Amino acid sequence: MSRFRWPQGMRCAVFLSINFDAEAFDLRSASEERLFGRFSYGRYGVRAGLPRLMALLERRGIAATVFITASDAQRHPDAVRALHEAGHEIAARGADLTPLPTLGDRQRDALARGRDTLASIIGEPPKGFRAPAGELAPDTLRLLAELGFEYDSSFQDDDHPYVFAATASSRIAEIPRVWALDDSLPFSARHTHARVGRIWREEFDALYREGCLVPLTVHLRGDVGFTRAARIAVLEELLVHMASQSGVTFMTGIELARLALQSGIEPEPDPLLAHKPTLDVTPYRGDLAIKPLA
Amino acid sequence: MTSTTTRTQLPRDIRCAITLGVDFDGPSHEVGRGIAPLGTHSWGRYSGRCGVPRHIEMLERQGVPCTFFVPGYDAQCYPEIVRAIDEAGFEVAAHGYLHEAWEVPEQEETELLRRTDDILRDLIGKPVLGWRSPSGRKTANTMRVLRSLGYIYDSSDKDYDLPYRLRFGSGGNDWIVELPNNTYSLDDFPFYKFSYTPPSEVLAQWKSEFDAIYASDRFLVLCLHPRSGWGSGTPSRTRVLEQFIEYAKEHDGVRFFSSAQFAQWCLEHPQHLEEASIP
Repeated sequence: MSRFRWPQGMRCAVFLSINFDAEAFDLRSASEERLFGRFSYGRYGVRAGLPRLMALLERRGIAATVFITASDAQRHPDAVRALHEAGHEIAARGADLTPLPTLGDRQRDALARGRDTLASIIGEPPKGFRAPAGELAPDTLRLLAELGFEYDSSFQDDDHPYVFAATASSRIAEIPRVWALDDSLPFSARHTHARVGRIWREEFDALYREGCLVPLTVHLRGDVGFTRAARIAVLEELLVHMASQSGVTFMTGIELARLALQSGIEPEPDPLLAHKPTLDVTPYRGDLAIKPLA
Repeated sequence: MTSTTTRTQLPRDIRCAITLGVDFDGPSHEVGRGIAPLGTHSWGRYSGRCGVPRHIEMLERQGVPCTFFVPGYDAQCYPEIVRAIDEAGFEVAAHGYLHEAWEVPEQEETELLRRTDDILRDLIGKPVLGWRSPSGRKTANTMRVLRSLGYIYDSSDKDYDLPYRLRFGSGGNDWIVELPNNTYSLDDFPFYKFSYTPPSEVLAQWKSEFDAIYASDRFLVLCLHPRSGWGSGTPSRTRVLEQFIEYAKEHDGVRFFSSAQFAQWCLEHPQHLEEASIP
């Protein structure tokens, strides 16, 4: 199997992705009438976080990829339009943040609604997709291909983009993420922004050294996101450091996907196929995750 | 009730012994729980695609032995990687079939231990000598079956800082070399899964563990995972592991062993090992 290689002159690509996750996130734990107080961190992301982040990206000349649910997009069409007009890629994240494996027969409609809502706001269908909580149903890759998506960005299994044969005749690129470069986890563990900055710096330096994809995941939210003034200063310092290294290019999801799709690397079968016979006879034990003792 | 003979004491010519163990933990970890290895749950795929090859490359550069504990199912998914581990001169040992992190009835357990042993032995063309429990669960039956398969050691108990002879029955063969490990400090996943600790702080933690052990018991078992998410397979974390190895090497008399090599040494020097009868 031929390995993915960066084009001549490139050492690595930084993929700055933004999980919009505003009210759609808070609505997982509270009803519409209760989006105040502790359930207003998502609104912070749109009112305070987004302008600050857009200003940073403009200042540094970086195009990001924004994954947004239909639910958030309908609430904030002006923000989606502004991001699109500023040159950022708008990508899909389903109808809302309900995990896809729980949707059953309604999954296709949810994916189509996510696509169509964004298309009606920006005038063109989105090409990229990232699943809520990174949870894919067995047929999600196939449905994405059928709905015209060119890539998914939900897996965490490789150092470079690669390609799935989603069906016998369709190809879909995978732009894998990495947990260590997702701001929401250390911030949800209440780490300081200095410490999160240290993690990201160490991760970037090592990925750069080996010429790997650098997939950053930033949230807008005021609780677990990178957009508070003190935090975004750390983020800016990191982005400046990355941009200053030779051979680093910032790329959007669709740019990376087309690079992978046109690279000639061999498409891989849907990963479910090899495991289906075992999964069919294995009970669900997902609640076995190790929890803290106390 | 635990009864012991003499306390384990490593001889002077082993100033400090280190065994590195990489628990392969591929897709078996998710599939065994009935979860498809898609999206976020694809972390185990990283082991076979990137993590293990990166670890092999680093370990070869450092010239130190290492034991890869491989679930049978993962060996079926990535046979060429398991062969590569063996061909590079590293030890392949067993780690469950579907990374069983739940209690398995005795008869089923016996069958799974045998199945994994068959899979690994067929792949590497030599006997498998050791086992580490996936998730740390085991019983006297586990050890009885392992002994019947010719295994010489287990590396799963958490009850001591030194190797010992673990007696689990009264029969002549009812004992096994135990190389105890600790998955709260000398391991990667507690820091990367629970506390999201920067790799440089994990390195500092392991160095501090080493310093204390070098000054006292002189036996260190480090557990690693090559998967993405909470393992050490990614560049930053493999680098930290490499820096730990370099740090240990700077100290006089530090010797790296594969788990099987060290267990073999234990078999040849029973006078140095205490025996514990449990229960």
